[in-house]
Amino acid sequence: MHLLLDAFPRREVRKVTGKSQKKAIVVIGLGNVLLSDEGIGVHIARRLARPKRKFPLVDFIEAGSAGLTLLHLIANRKKAVIIDCARMEAEPGTIRRFTPDEVRSVKQLSNFSMHEQDILQVINLSKQLGECPREIVFFGIQPESLEPGQKPTKTLAGRMETYIAEISKELA
Amino acid sequence: MHNNLDINVHHITRVEGHGNIVVNLKNGKIEKLQWHVPEAPRFFEAMVRGHNFQDIQIIVSRICGICSITHSLAATKAVESALGLTVSEQADTVRILMLYAEQLQSHILHVGYLAAPDFFGAPSVVPLVARAPDVVKTIVKAHRTANEWANLIAGRPTHPVTIVPGGLTRIPTAKQFRQLQQTLKDIVPAAKTIAEVVLSIAGNIPKFERPTEYVSLKQTSPPTYTFYHGGITSTDIKGMVCPVEKWHDTANEYVVEQSTAKWAKWHRDSYAVGALARFNNNADLLSPMAKDAAKMFGLQKGNCNPYMNTVAQLVECFHIIETTIEMIDKLLTKGLKDESCLSGVRNPAGTIKAGRGAGAVEAPRGILFHEYEFDKKGNCVAADMCIPTNQNHANIQKDFEKLLPEILDQSPNDIRLKLEMLVRSYDPCISCSTHFLDVKFVK
Repeated sequence: MHLLLDAFPRREVRKVTGKSQKKAIVVIGLGNVLLSDEGIGVHIARRLARPKRKFPLVDFIEAGSAGLTLLHLIANRKKAVIIDCARMEAEPGTIRRFTPDEVRSVKQLSNFSMHEQDILQVINLSKQLGECPREIVFFGIQPESLEPGQKPTKTLAGRMETYIAEISKELA
Repeated sequence: MHNNLDINVHHITRVEGHGNIVVNLKNGKIEKLQWHVPEAPRFFEAMVRGHNFQDIQIIVSRICGICSITHSLAATKAVESALGLTVSEQADTVRILMLYAEQLQSHILHVGYLAAPDFFGAPSVVPLVARAPDVVKTIVKAHRTANEWANLIAGRPTHPVTIVPGGLTRIPTAKQFRQLQQTLKDIVPAAKTIAEVVLSIAGNIPKFERPTEYVSLKQTSPPTYTFYHGGITSTDIKGMVCPVEKWHDTANEYVVEQSTAKWAKWHRDSYAVGALARFNNNADLLSPMAKDAAKMFGLQKGNCNPYMNTVAQLVECFHIIETTIEMIDKLLTKGLKDESCLSGVRNPAGTIKAGRGAGAVEAPRGILFHEYEFDKKGNCVAADMCIPTNQNHANIQKDFEKLLPEILDQSPNDIRLKLEMLVRSYDPCISCSTHFLDVKFVK
């Protein structure tokens, strides 16, 4: 019943709204949780956000397949950590840390569409608006399967602790 | 006039999903003119089967990253209709406010980020920042307000988590509602600025008309410019209203070779849904500021220029802001009651009965239908959904067929742009599913 349990948003998530204070660091989990490994970013963000992890300076956000909403989620933060399933020509389950400067998108759609837009373009827009975090870090995880399914594959799920440890270092 | 012309727009940009435009002109004769939708089906109707009625709205919210609130609400209305669940007046009002947040979010996104670059002659909003920084900042401000509004009521900017059959898991406090109200009052000048900017470039909106049937919701009791309640109406049935349960008879979905998405028709070969359809059916019920905005653009009931859908969306932004300010006043005057449905369901009878039900909600891009059947355990045994963009595909094709001969004397680039702009004006939401990063490391 995890779907229903998600109906009660955690305090950390709610605080981002309205007039409340944004925290300096934001961790954004991207992906569609109905397509197995495609949702790995969201699964990791959920695990990181569990209270026992205790990151007082961090907001954790499940952004799903949000597009330009990202622009608002990263605005005026000190640091943004974006976790997503990424095709990186690596072994399934591989996690790789990179910054926007280290990659180029291979998406053919050069202009904005509502969902297909390139995250790098959102970052570019954020920079032009003068509200981009000083530091943006991506964690890409190479998927094994993008088939329908509400859980990541065993290959990725089995490495969850590694992912958590790796990303936690970034949040210290 | 061209004798030979080949236009192949493979994946039009600044729309949601994948659609192609194909034009072949040979010896002055149009050989091929098609609006293609090549996307694979997504099987949500099969995916929800076997799931309990309490899970449906969470799953179907993933159909779309823009209209996720609309999908959740349409599903929840259908579930409530199937199982005979009731919703309090307060929860009903807050749900409408949630839906309004999404309408504003989506309309600003379309008008500001996706359509405006066309009017400015820019490829996207990014280079527009350098040319018109204040305009882009104003658009971002309005969009951000709508996002925070959705976050406040729905629990997240997209994929809402507070909607459950029978009500809502929580609602904002009176203080938060007052803050929201003030924020909305504060963005009225921003909305007016956006309207003035669009007006200043309105001369670039193509002058094209094709008599069209427009289909939307209509609410007569009380008469309301509705996005949530009421039945189905059309400009071809003179204000009559069909019950939502009859949507199969109004959408009449069918399959065509050129599209993996279904097409729809009612009284004519095609019909249109969306902001212009709502406007053409209900314009007299708009708020005063919205009526003023329509007047600014000369937008009147009966307009059948599809490019004006973008302007109708802008008009609706004013209606949404003004109406929400009023609704919050009414809500707080009555006093907020603690009625959160933590158990998920208000089920007076205490038992779930098998049943079938349909729900309709106006998505930003037009009327949306969901229908479900449940067994006596409350598990889904059948589902059927009809999204607004499906209902617009045939109309886009028919518009192409009238438009192309009228613009054949223009340059290939202009022809291509006008066809692309036409598709974009419908604000299509073709599909959304996989969004993984696809990157190459810089060596």
